[in-house]
Amino acid sequence: MRNRVREQRVRRGLSQAELAAALSVSRQTVISIESGRYLPSLPLAFSIARFFGLTVDKMFDPDEEAGS
Amino acid sequence: MRTSINPRLRKPAWNALAGVVFAAAWLVRGGPLWWVSIPAVIAAAVRVISLYRMGATDTDEGALAGSRADERQRQLSLRSRALACNLAGVASFVGLTAAIAVSAPWWWPFLAVLAVIGFGYLLGLSNYGVAEEGPADDADTGYQARSGSR
Repeated sequence: MRNRVREQRVRRGLSQAELAAALSVSRQTVISIESGRYLPSLPLAFSIARFFGLTVDKMFDPDEEAGS
Repeated sequence: MRTSINPRLRKPAWNALAGVVFAAAWLVRGGPLWWVSIPAVIAAAVRVISLYRMGATDTDEGALAGSRADERQRQLSLRSRALACNLAGVASFVGLTAAIAVSAPWWWPFLAVLAVIGFGYLLGLSNYGVAEEGPADDADTGYQARSGSR
């Protein structure tokens, strides 16, 4: 599953640590989500989408492979 | 009542308690091996200090040691525990089989471990899963029966 977390974070000029603090998760978890190694839970996916002002289906695309 | 212990101290505190109890067991046992309680306390102290220090590091292990793990780190811990339990089960089965094969009297601890693993698994199923499932939606008076009659 591809996601747009890195793209949105870079667009807003945030570091991974800053995004992690805003989402109350660890920096390592942000790295894992961005690289597609970890699929966040539904509550966290909603938190991420809400943080960037997007919908969950705009942030996470189930039809695309991570890294493609 | 919820304790207000600092999260970073939780795991070290439990380890300290376990170390003290283990050392006390050697003392209570008495005999010529009472001195084992001293290295047991030292080992526990080293573990407690290293856990406390690890709890401050910016790593997955640090987050777990400091009791501040997020959902991915908790999942990581859960999967590691499951793997450890699987390995313990396989090792116990191998031990039990070997003990039976050589007619050894030490077969029962392996069986006890297997029984505890099996009991724990069933307890987990009843606590976290099966019992919480309700009836299927189409079992009530709902949609499918009506739509099928159209």
